[in-house]
Amino acid sequence: MGNKVVVFSEEQLQDYQDCTFLTRKDILRIQKKFRNLATDIVPKSMTAGNVTSTVMLPLDTIVKLPELRENPFKRRICEVFSKDNTGNLTFDEFLDMLSIFSEEAPRDIKVFYAFKIYDFDNDNHIGNEDMCTALKILTVNELNAEEMNQVCSKAIEEADVDGDGKLSYMEFNHVILRSPEFFSTFHIRI
Amino acid sequence: MSGGERKKRISKGAGWEEAGGEFYQECYPGAELDIEHLPRDPHYFATLLPSKQNRAATTRRSRCDTKSTYKRCATNRSQNYSTMQQNTMQNDVHVAMMPDLSENLANEETTWEEMMLIKTMPINMSQKREIKAKLLSADTFRLQGLKQFKLKKRKLWEYLKVRRKELYKMIELWRQCFITIEGNFGTGVVAFFFFIKWLMFLNLTITVIIVCFVVVPTLLMQEKESDPCAQINDTSYECCPKIYFNSWTNLTITPYNILQGNGWLESTIMFYGYYPNSILENVILNYNLPLAYIATAAVYLLLSLCAMIKKAASGFKDRLMESEGQYYKYCSMVFGGWDFCISNESSAKIKHKAIYKEIKENLETERREEEKKNRNEEEELRFFFIRVFLNGISILICVFAGLLIFYTFQYSVGELQKDVHDDLHRLLLEFAPYLCIVGLNLVIPNILNYFVILENYSPISALRVAFFRTVILRLSSLGVLLASFFSLVRCTSDPATCSSPICQKPLCWETYIGQQIYKLLILDILSNAAITFLVNFPRMLLAKHLKCKFTQILGAQEFELPKHVLDVVYSQTLVWFGSFYAPLLPALATVLFFLVFYIKKFACLVNSSPSTTIYRASRSDSMFMSVLLVSFTVAVIPWAYTMTELEPSKSCGPYMGRLSVWSLIREFYNSFPSWVIFCFEGIVSSTFAVPTFFILILSLYYYYIVSKANKQMVNVLKKQLILEGHDKQFLLNRLSAFIKQHQERHKAIRSVDPPNNSN
Repeated sequence: MGNKVVVFSEEQLQDYQDCTFLTRKDILRIQKKFRNLATDIVPKSMTAGNVTSTVMLPLDTIVKLPELRENPFKRRICEVFSKDNTGNLTFDEFLDMLSIFSEEAPRDIKVFYAFKIYDFDNDNHIGNEDMCTALKILTVNELNAEEMNQVCSKAIEEADVDGDGKLSYMEFNHVILRSPEFFSTFHIRI
Repeated sequence: MSGGERKKRISKGAGWEEAGGEFYQECYPGAELDIEHLPRDPHYFATLLPSKQNRAATTRRSRCDTKSTYKRCATNRSQNYSTMQQNTMQNDVHVAMMPDLSENLANEETTWEEMMLIKTMPINMSQKREIKAKLLSADTFRLQGLKQFKLKKRKLWEYLKVRRKELYKMIELWRQCFITIEGNFGTGVVAFFFFIKWLMFLNLTITVIIVCFVVVPTLLMQEKESDPCAQINDTSYECCPKIYFNSWTNLTITPYNILQGNGWLESTIMFYGYYPNSILENVILNYNLPLAYIATAAVYLLLSLCAMIKKAASGFKDRLMESEGQYYKYCSMVFGGWDFCISNESSAKIKHKAIYKEIKENLETERREEEKKNRNEEEELRFFFIRVFLNGISILICVFAGLLIFYTFQYSVGELQKDVHDDLHRLLLEFAPYLCIVGLNLVIPNILNYFVILENYSPISALRVAFFRTVILRLSSLGVLLASFFSLVRCTSDPATCSSPICQKPLCWETYIGQQIYKLLILDILSNAAITFLVNFPRMLLAKHLKCKFTQILGAQEFELPKHVLDVVYSQTLVWFGSFYAPLLPALATVLFFLVFYIKKFACLVNSSPSTTIYRASRSDSMFMSVLLVSFTVAVIPWAYTMTELEPSKSCGPYMGRLSVWSLIREFYNSFPSWVIFCFEGIVSSTFAVPTFFILILSLYYYYIVSKANKQMVNVLKKQLILEGHDKQFLLNRLSAFIKQHQERHKAIRSVDPPNNSN
């Protein structure tokens, strides 16, 4: 196919391969997905200038991605990966996100971002509030207040080692290490 | 640590620091700082505490570890901590021995390593690009000679690995199916489909082994000796094979024959009876087929066992971790509860519900525990009697099922002795016991599941009890079948004749058993397919299109994982038992498992809605393997018994004319050189075996003690950790109070003596 549009320059592709856990094919597929979200904003060829870091899709468009649509944490995930915490993502950030959620990414970095996702108020600790927010999202608000408090306080009690009533990153890491489910569920297949 | 190394650390640290977060700070000011120059914020002191310092150190170390073991991490995530440490040390030594030139210049290899590390940093893409550009533009020290070659090799290796992964992703069987199923049903159910795939490949491997070492030699080489008996009507002992081969008269291919495994199919390589008992001869080599036949069987059974153990061991590790994780029940519910793979609306809804249900159940279980403590004796007694009664009934049902199978089998054998000319009638008679088994397998589990509801178990143990009973039922029905084979085969006739009219023993009983297993396997799969497509599919349609209550109850179905697992494991048990008697059974099973995958996929995606019980991937994996291990023993023990105790049939197969298959092995063993026999006998003798046994027991006991001590140590350390946490809290409070005091005093001094301050 001679007249095929060059989506990325060779250099860009090499950069992406070096900076993410994705293969060449994955990157191209993700670009297609990104473009399909808003064909009028995203150009077909990403080679020009710095399209990849300036063209921004709003949060409400991103969450329409089929792989993300049903995820209850979708908004929070986008916020974590966007530079300004608004949830609007450029292609670079979008690619970053899917790289972390790919099967190739090691545990450490997944735990790092998981912590960020669950830390809703950005205070570097997962407190009672954060836990309750996560629980509310998970159960679609079906637990009553008493049950919710019970579960939150129990969860914090389980993991809180230094007795400050909230989970630091190390405590979170410690808990996640013992939850074998985490690694098998914390990924999105593209 | 050399300069290059240090520089690397700093640049890496920068990456993590930019990610922000107090928890990633590289270095903290030490104790030499005096209080005067510290910021006024008391929280700042939190970073000075020894525990925090340790934490910073651990983060740093773990980062280095990831770096040095990068090569391996890519392939093997479950890195052992001690090997990591070792690796770092090696790396340090390696770096320290480098020439001085490299002190300020990173060499090519380290640059490349850093480049590979960029992707593991938690920073955004533009920063990653910057770091990459910086690395590329920085002066590097070129490697020479062997090192250059080694680096090139490493780069090439890395490249090939990526290519291989890409290729594998492209050709991986059913990849798209897995994604769809995972998107709809979550990781627990997809583990079951991986399990089917695994079994299919296991059977494929077994097939390859059998074809290479048994089938191909038989087809390629001729028999060595000529036929001892020429006349057809000779009924002496030597002519048994002749009689058997002459019974293969009607060799046309009919569908009935294919289903029943007799007629034409009986005379092919499919069954035991076809294989000759002699040493095969070729221009180049002689091939001892009987020996190869039994050796192959032993090898593929061992191989299956090893494969299972290997798979179970990894699951076991997860399980151990999880058993410690029961302290973190609620945490893993909140943090690990959601399945990020789910991308289907209805299953997302069900997942929400399932998580809600699980949390409720856990709270319920706790309440129940409380209740149990308060429950009075009368109620306790009542539940006890209900359980005893229902367990008794379950056992009775199992016994009844066993008897039914046994008598149906007897009846079918008896009727088939008479001449039945009608093909269909014959087919029905042939299949009667198996129809009975399959029917019982379908009906009785439902009854047992109903019992469990009455017994008032906690939700998790209810699932387990029901599953356990179904396993017992299935395997015991298989056991009864094997027992009825045995009662038929055991009957010994006059050693001088081929068969006697008193026994109903078939001429070639091994082939007969092979045929029976073949029939059961085919029927099992067919019934599975029939129920999926002819019963459950219309049920689903009914429930989907008629919105009345009755059809909803009748038609709604969940994907019950344990039941489907049992179906598959049952087939595999049949294959293990039967493949000695029908060597191509694994080949058939490979094809059947391929079909089963699609049948189950249909049952899963089209017929059922996701279950409201949460199946965890790690838990289900170890469940599959434990059931498979149990069924493996159920298959192998009777097989081993027949190998050593029963007389092989005189008219067919590689072992005709021997007392047992075992006798061949003994003969072979005796043909070894005398020193091998001597060594072996030494190993088995009591003077050697008894001490070994004792040593084994002692070492086992030692490890038991060690693990117990470790457990205690873990508990002590946990308590200590908590205590130190409290200490820290206490100290922080004291410290902030002190600082406040200090500041106030300072202020007071300043206000009293302002000119002093300007100096």
